[in-house]
Amino acid sequence: MRREPLINLVIILLLLAVPLTAQAMDEPFIVTLATKVAILALAGVGLNIALGLGGMVSLGHAAFFGIGGYMMAVLAAPVQAYEPLMTWPIELAGTKSMPLIWLGAVIAGALGALAIGALSLRTSGVYFIMITLAFGQMLYYFAISWPAYGGEDGIAIYVRNGFPGLNTLDPLQFFALAYAVLLLALLLAHRLGASPFGLALAGARQAPARVAALGIRPYSLKLTAFVLSGAVTALAGALYADLNRFVSPSMLSWHTSGEIMVLVILGGVGRLFGPVAGAALYILLEHLLGGISEHWQFFLGLILLGIVLFARGGLIGTLAGREVAHD
Amino acid sequence: MTEPVLEVRELHIAFGALKATDGVSLTLRAGEIHALIGPNGAGKSTLIGLIAGSLSPDAGQVRMNGQDVTGQDVAARARAGLARSFQVSAVAPDLTVLQNVVLAVQGARGGSYRFLRRALSDRSLTETATAQIDRVGLAPCRAIPAGDLAHGQRRRLELAMALAQRPRAFVLDEPMAGMGPDGAREMTVLLDDLRHEAPILLVEHDMDAVFRLADRISVLVAGRIIASGTVDQIRADDQVQTAYLGEERLP
Repeated sequence: MRREPLINLVIILLLLAVPLTAQAMDEPFIVTLATKVAILALAGVGLNIALGLGGMVSLGHAAFFGIGGYMMAVLAAPVQAYEPLMTWPIELAGTKSMPLIWLGAVIAGALGALAIGALSLRTSGVYFIMITLAFGQMLYYFAISWPAYGGEDGIAIYVRNGFPGLNTLDPLQFFALAYAVLLLALLLAHRLGASPFGLALAGARQAPARVAALGIRPYSLKLTAFVLSGAVTALAGALYADLNRFVSPSMLSWHTSGEIMVLVILGGVGRLFGPVAGAALYILLEHLLGGISEHWQFFLGLILLGIVLFARGGLIGTLAGREVAHD
Repeated sequence: MTEPVLEVRELHIAFGALKATDGVSLTLRAGEIHALIGPNGAGKSTLIGLIAGSLSPDAGQVRMNGQDVTGQDVAARARAGLARSFQVSAVAPDLTVLQNVVLAVQGARGGSYRFLRRALSDRSLTETATAQIDRVGLAPCRAIPAGDLAHGQRRRLELAMALAQRPRAFVLDEPMAGMGPDGAREMTVLLDDLRHEAPILLVEHDMDAVFRLADRISVLVAGRIIASGTVDQIRADDQVQTAYLGEERLP
């Protein structure tokens, strides 16, 4: 049963090989698609911490994706307009530096997840799904009615933000950056799953009453996981905004939440590389089926239905079989 | 006499018109097994819920080692030294036997908020866990997911987890439920030893086991304790005979 690491290796190498080949064949559009896969996979790695490890079915992760995206705009827009970010209580300039923007996105995503999670985790089951959805939609309508950042139209950041030592406007270099961040997130998610925290969280998912009786509060475990999850998804949001050089409320809409969840389910809930496989499959289907019919999402729906009914472990589960307990 | 390890004073709880626990008082002293018996629906599980903290009483107190813990939640009482087993096995099915018991050690010691090191690389955690697994006779099953265990093995795993908590008191809810005669006998031997580590409040339907193990027995009927005493006293009590066992005589 050691097939899964091998499959993971193949997937991650493919994700690297495709844009390299595309670059050689002078197909920058494919490079951009691969970047989109890496970034959506990162968002999925974030959701998978809540959904896969913590068993929290959040239909509001667009909130964190969007918070990350808007954090990019909030920090970068003042630079583009030659204005300070704020003048009171201290004068603060905006920034076009990705590391700083990422830091801002991670902090904002974590705080957002702390607030939303603290309230949502008082419920469970279908109520949890509905309340996370409601919080996500709340932020969506807030963004629509927020004129400072373009309201419904969103806001464009014309020049992609910079990263020390890289030319981020070069598609391949920006891909490499997103790919590196994804690898780092996968490594952290892997360590998290096998850590004492991951063990306690798995316990809280499978037998919450038992975990409480062992002296560990399931609520605190789940809230912590939700915060980590929101932070990672917000980081993906900041990258996604930089990929498009554009932020709009659609990043916050429940369609986005659904998209992130669909790609995690496609790839395999709770499987480390599930979001990567799922994001790749999702983008591939979008372009293959999208070329055949504009109703491609109907066929995506059929495939999703098939996976939920017949392949519970998603793509990874189908290829690698039942998850082995990490010993 | 020293302070009881666990003490329940005048506990009341009602669900609508049903007085599920109606003025129950009992103590658990160091070194003893105190069995709680009673017919189905007598309120045994409710009482365990009140002691463990998953239910909060309308009136009355739960005290551990002389401290009032009535206002504390399940996790706080566990950390204060209360280990419980569940009537229906509650173990994490996708985690291995070893992982389940490591989780129990972790719960008792703290340190569940470490994010980056491997739980199973922590020798002090795994060694303690392994010792308890071996003790309940699950050594060959360490690496098996708990969900794949047979029923009797799962009951042993519950016990190993309770042991790994190094508790000051055990509350065991029908540890022999659904076990065959051999399993029940082995479990009896295990529990017999255990009372020296921490006293046990034992809810059990297997009367052979109860009479063999208990230092004291309390009989719960319709939310009230109608009799409490040694095995011989309970056997001889007419009220117990009629209320609990009907026409059938105790062995």
